[in-house]
Amino acid sequence: MFCSEKKSLEVERIVKANDREYNEKFQYADNRIHTSKYSILTFLPINLFEQFQKVANAYFLFLLLLQLIPEISSLTWFTTIVPLVLVITMTAVKDATDDYFRHKSDNQVNNRLSEVLLDSKLQNEKWMNVKVGDIIKLENNQFVAADLLLLSSSEPHGLCYIETAELDGETNLKVRHALSVTSELGADFSRLAKFDGIVVCEAPNNKLDKFTGVLSWKDSKHSLNNENIILRGCILRNTSWCFGMVIFAGPDTKLMQNSGKTKFKRTSIDRLMNTLVLWIFGFLVCLGIILAIGNSIWENQVGDQFRTFLFWNEGKKNSLFSGFLTFWSYIIILNTVVPISLYVSMEVIRLGHSYFINWDRKMYYSGKSTPAEARTTTLNEELGQIEYVFSDKTGTLTQNIMTFKKCSINGKIYGEVRDDMGQKTDITKKNEPVDFSVNPQADRTFQFFDHRLMESVKLGDSKVYEFLRLLALCHTVMSEENSAGQLIYQVQSPDEGALVTAARNFGFIFKSRTPETITVEELGTLVTYQLLAFLDFNNIRKRMSVIVRNPEGQIKLYSKGADTILFEKLHPSNEDLLTLTTDHLSEFAGEGLRTLAIAYRDLDDKYFKEWHQMLEDANALMDERDERIAGLYEEIERDLMLLGATAVEDKLQEGVIETITSLSLANIKIWVLTGDKQETAINIGYACNMLTDDMNDVFIIAGNTAVEVREELRKAKENLFGQNRSSSNGHVVFEKQQLELDSVVEETITGDYALVINGHSLAHALESDVKNDLLELACMCKTVVCCRVTPLQKAQVVELVKNCRNAVTLAIGDGANDVSMIKSAHIGVGISGQEGLQAVLASDYSFAQFRYLQRLLLVHGRWSYFRMCKFLCYFFYKNFAFTLVHFWFGFFCGFSAQTVYDQWFITLFNIVYTSLPVLAMGIFDQPLTGRGSTSNISQWDFLKRICQCSSWDPIQQVQGHPTSRKGNLVCPLSSCLCCFFFGCFCSTPGPPVSSVDVSDQSSMDYPQLYEPGQLNLLFNKRKFFICMAHGIYTSLALFFIPYGAFHNVAGEDGQHIADYQSFAVTMATSLVIVVSVQIALDTSYWTVINHVFIWGSVATYFSILFTMHSNGIFGMFPNQFPFVGNARHSLTQKCIWLVILLTTVASVVPVVVLRFLKMDLCPTLSDRIRQRQKAQKKARPLRSRRPQTRRSSSRRSGYAFAHQEGYGELITSGKNMRAKNPPLTSGLEKTLYNSTSWIENFCKKTTDTVSSFSQDKTVKL
Amino acid sequence: MKRTSEDGQSKLPDNTALKQQQLPAYRLQLSATGVLSCFFATGVFCLGMGIILILSAKSIKEIEIKYTKICGNCAKLREDATNFDKECTCSIPFYLSETMQVKGEREEIQAYTFLFTVSSCIQDVGNCAPFSKSHDGTPIAPCGAIANSIFNDTIILSYKLNSSIPIKVPMLRSGITWWTDKYVKFQNPSSINLSSAFAGTTKPPCWAKPVYELDGEDPGNNGFLNDDFIVWMRTAAFPTFKKLYRRLNRIQYFIEGLPAGNYSFNITYNFPVTRFKGEKSVVLSTLTWSGGSSLFLGLVYTVTGAVTWLASFSMMAVHLTLKDRKVLFIQQ
Repeated sequence: MFCSEKKSLEVERIVKANDREYNEKFQYADNRIHTSKYSILTFLPINLFEQFQKVANAYFLFLLLLQLIPEISSLTWFTTIVPLVLVITMTAVKDATDDYFRHKSDNQVNNRLSEVLLDSKLQNEKWMNVKVGDIIKLENNQFVAADLLLLSSSEPHGLCYIETAELDGETNLKVRHALSVTSELGADFSRLAKFDGIVVCEAPNNKLDKFTGVLSWKDSKHSLNNENIILRGCILRNTSWCFGMVIFAGPDTKLMQNSGKTKFKRTSIDRLMNTLVLWIFGFLVCLGIILAIGNSIWENQVGDQFRTFLFWNEGKKNSLFSGFLTFWSYIIILNTVVPISLYVSMEVIRLGHSYFINWDRKMYYSGKSTPAEARTTTLNEELGQIEYVFSDKTGTLTQNIMTFKKCSINGKIYGEVRDDMGQKTDITKKNEPVDFSVNPQADRTFQFFDHRLMESVKLGDSKVYEFLRLLALCHTVMSEENSAGQLIYQVQSPDEGALVTAARNFGFIFKSRTPETITVEELGTLVTYQLLAFLDFNNIRKRMSVIVRNPEGQIKLYSKGADTILFEKLHPSNEDLLTLTTDHLSEFAGEGLRTLAIAYRDLDDKYFKEWHQMLEDANALMDERDERIAGLYEEIERDLMLLGATAVEDKLQEGVIETITSLSLANIKIWVLTGDKQETAINIGYACNMLTDDMNDVFIIAGNTAVEVREELRKAKENLFGQNRSSSNGHVVFEKQQLELDSVVEETITGDYALVINGHSLAHALESDVKNDLLELACMCKTVVCCRVTPLQKAQVVELVKNCRNAVTLAIGDGANDVSMIKSAHIGVGISGQEGLQAVLASDYSFAQFRYLQRLLLVHGRWSYFRMCKFLCYFFYKNFAFTLVHFWFGFFCGFSAQTVYDQWFITLFNIVYTSLPVLAMGIFDQPLTGRGSTSNISQWDFLKRICQCSSWDPIQQVQGHPTSRKGNLVCPLSSCLCCFFFGCFCSTPGPPVSSVDVSDQSSMDYPQLYEPGQLNLLFNKRKFFICMAHGIYTSLALFFIPYGAFHNVAGEDGQHIADYQSFAVTMATSLVIVVSVQIALDTSYWTVINHVFIWGSVATYFSILFTMHSNGIFGMFPNQFPFVGNARHSLTQKCIWLVILLTTVASVVPVVVLRFLKMDLCPTLSDRIRQRQKAQKKARPLRSRRPQTRRSSSRRSGYAFAHQEGYGELITSGKNMRAKNPPLTSGLEKTLYNSTSWIENFCKKTTDTVSSFSQDKTVKL
Repeated sequence: MKRTSEDGQSKLPDNTALKQQQLPAYRLQLSATGVLSCFFATGVFCLGMGIILILSAKSIKEIEIKYTKICGNCAKLREDATNFDKECTCSIPFYLSETMQVKGEREEIQAYTFLFTVSSCIQDVGNCAPFSKSHDGTPIAPCGAIANSIFNDTIILSYKLNSSIPIKVPMLRSGITWWTDKYVKFQNPSSINLSSAFAGTTKPPCWAKPVYELDGEDPGNNGFLNDDFIVWMRTAAFPTFKKLYRRLNRIQYFIEGLPAGNYSFNITYNFPVTRFKGEKSVVLSTLTWSGGSSLFLGLVYTVTGAVTWLASFSMMAVHLTLKDRKVLFIQQ
């Protein structure tokens, strides 16, 4: 208690290095993390408490308590307690296992070792024992244990490199540096141990990119910022060791602060069920009251006289009290409307569906041998109701591999594959890639399909040479040679890696660099260029240049950058080439490639010297330095000669485009939430076809202040809604009208819009007063891209949509930065097979490739939803039919709470007699779906469709009207009609339908089939009432037909058959037969299992019935089985069978007929047909839909350069270049130049990954 | 590398029809006409069955005599519980106009169903409240409210062959119970002498005789095995019910059933019903193949059949209309 109070009060944090006692005063959290929910002691109470919070469980507990009271117990107590205990135990075991694994993963993390400097010695200490203020040592490729203040590192100037993929999803390496005062400490333990600086900094928070603090040491103060901090979750790269002081530990770290809370997830059906259980309970209470009043009246009017007749004076009761008791008795009797077996069956069905997901070979990724995994088994049917998908970009949509795809050199495009006719074709297996085997240094994984470029190189085209030379010179890549003599490039931006590797394969091999030189092997000869100046990249310049002197003494400026910027700097003589290249660039950009323009300039010696002098002067300046330098850079980067352009592909994962296309056809909105740059994000948007040039507008919200953001949002909205909205705002409009208007506006918006918003703006836009605007705007847009968002913002966006739109959301991601989003969405999907596990651990479903999402949602999700809804409809129907008979009987038995059936029948009905067929349906059923051609639909399907009006969806969507959703809502019957129509087409019986591969394929082919789930059409309150009405009707038929028939009737031999027991047997038998016929009609996919279960259930019923009514069992337990001989006697009577038959016909036929006639009621038949025609036209080409590259307009990627500022300086200063013989402290030497240097570690990692370009790929964890 | 590929193999889900959700599914081949004919067939069946049932119900010859009011004096006497040992008989003459093939003869009373089930064991008094023990604590045999309220009128049917001499119509008291009830469910305590077997128990408060003296003529018809007792203990489902009393013994004059003529019922009136506004009647009835069927079943069958036919016609109408539309659709 004290601790948490303390935490909330923490305003600033004071940490003293190497002084645990001092730091203990503040009671900072230690480095242990807890993600688990229970401990051994708290498990039982907390878990039980949680479980009984479920309405259903509480309901059953209440019933159980009622049954324990002998005065009102009309059913034996074990009918409730056994299943209840079973359910509770099952859930508890599941929760316990889940928590056990959480404990295990916590333990695993908590027990990781890190080296802590204690008593001037490095000691291995478990992570959980690391305290704030400790100094710990990290080695290359280690996870950072806590949020650290970097003190010193192996690299010069206290630099270290970290990968922050876990935190923000960005994969390029980032540089952190120690303060110069502390970096002097080096690896000297004694000095480090004496370090007693005090850090005063902000309290723990979740801002990943901000840190402010002050270090006081040796009487001086040094300000600290984010550059000095390495955060937990990062991985140390390219740095053999570093020392850091723990500032935030455990739950206070920014990583943990960013991970959302674990929530108990429930499906919307669960929530609906909760409501329904309450309603049903209300319904029960009503029935109970009616019957109790009846009982009181009866007791008053008849009971008294009746009692005197029996000399029953001692048992005299107050009629009101008797009514009261009767009420409770009836509550118990009628409780089976919601039987506990419903919940058990739901769990079983979901479990079955989860197994189907695990078993699906089509979701198995052989590349990483990862099958799909349903990690939770309670959410399956919600997969069929997804409206919003929130996707991470890096690692989810993209493979995070950059490939050099195309280039334009001197007005000539390379990289396109043309067939013999000179037409562009797609790259197929037939095309031979360019053979780079002549070049021993070539990267094997690099593939290029256009042989002309190689030919040009061989022919000695000088422009091509210059182009490749530029690629080999103008970059920030570092090279190393591994033990095998292979060149390894260490890149901080994968784009650059792609370019340098391309140059390498075409014979311009970047070999090594020093601060002053760059060595390139040009077609076999080593050439060393003098690096004269490095004009670094920044966000404003959007370009970088190098100035080099080649061995001939010529000075050249090589520049690459965003085309828009670079083209302004060109020499006028480039005009022709410029237009040509511009066309090419548009073409590249149209294909979603990341483009760069490339240019050079020859400089004369004198001019350069003057310029260089001025640069040095400027550097020496104290004020206005940056402006001056920028001016100088501008000055020299002009009159450039255009060389061409490059196009790099940010390789999408396989099938991403198809998946996104089909998901959007399924009316699922996909939002991309990425920590990456705006440009990259937009680029990927185009690459995935999420953004297209056909879009009417793409709104970009990139304001930095709340006011700006608001203004931008307002403008976008105005743009979107046009005059429609603004005119209405002029008048006083009631809120309600306004709302109506909004919905009208929503309807009337045509055309596609997209919204791009960045993290800063999002922070403002998520504030309460603006967020509705944002939401409204975003939901109008077809595509939403949020870039530069923090993990917490991702979760906030998900929450926003989840709460305000009331929509079912799914979040998919692969990294730790997606965890919070995965946790807060209704369904979280983790991309598995990557190295990091956090996302998968937090997820509900996991698989290896984004494209499996399509199958997960459209097949598994849709089926699960379909099955679950059918199951629920049937179950409610069945139990209403079963239970309400008691209500009718109440009027004929003096409201005495006598049960109609045998107690055994009541106990077994839901568990044994009727559970398996409906389970089989719930697990194996498959929606019948059109196969595209009508002639294949057999007449049986037609009958089935009639019988399953409740689940008409498939055809409705195919033959219906995917565009107008309202239409479906208004007249769901239309679909029925369509179905019927559909069925009538094929009066000729088709061949036996072998359903293999039909249903799931059509689910994929017609994504529109998904819509009923989103609209909640298959099971909702209305459907529930229909089921209820159906059940009530059946119960009426079940009761009153036997009642009428039994009234004053004798058996064949004159003996009485109208006794209570015969009546019970007749009713029970009719009930079992009626519900079996009904399930037979409801089952659309009759597998062997269905056959066995349906026939088997009926058979089981009769065998159990005869067994329980046999002499033998009566002899053993005379009190438990009083129905001896009943089945034998009753079921040999013709009359009873006639009653059963009539009951069955009367309960089933009207339902079939009603469903049939419903179809007749649809008004606009011709409309439907026309729409169907349209829909078919629309739906047909879908099958063969391929990613299209027809775009030709002028959209251009502004600057697709995942690049960071500051590397140029590092290179020219030589800071990041390891000296050949670094002055090392003896203790560390071994570890450093051990065989396990970072390069090798790095290689190890990369060889594991399958795809090309491994050397240049930054490993994402 | 090889190891991982092996691992991969093991992780790859099996390619079985069950796991891939591709179990062969059977679908019956039914044409639209088949469906409709199925409906028509159902309709025909129901109609036919309904007509047969109605006809057979009509063929039943039945005489019902409500004797509560006729025997008003006795009824009044029985209202006072203290008079239960006073005998009261009344005679009801009636005329049977035509020959009836009477197989059985039943009496009907109006009563209520009871909550309590029968306990066949003497000592088990658990479910018998409030009639489990008498005031002095001795257990009641048979216990329970149902047994207590046993129907104890005796009905004798006599036929006036001539104008003066009434002949007692021979009646069988056997075969009125279910076999299982008589031989499995109800058992007398094993003892040579019934009265000693029931020693230590007392008779239910409404009973005139103890259970082991129910039938003075046939010693085997006593105790729990008394047929009337067994019939009574098979609780009716509804408040109004008929129970089999005796069957006609087809001997002498009655080989062909009951001949036409003057009859009379001589009823020893014991069972009090007026206090709870009940009514008793005695019914003479014949049986048909389906038992003593009532009109209800036949009527409902007929109605169901008619409705099914109607439905079939409308379905056919829809079918045909849509066929026309299909032509229209193609023309477009």
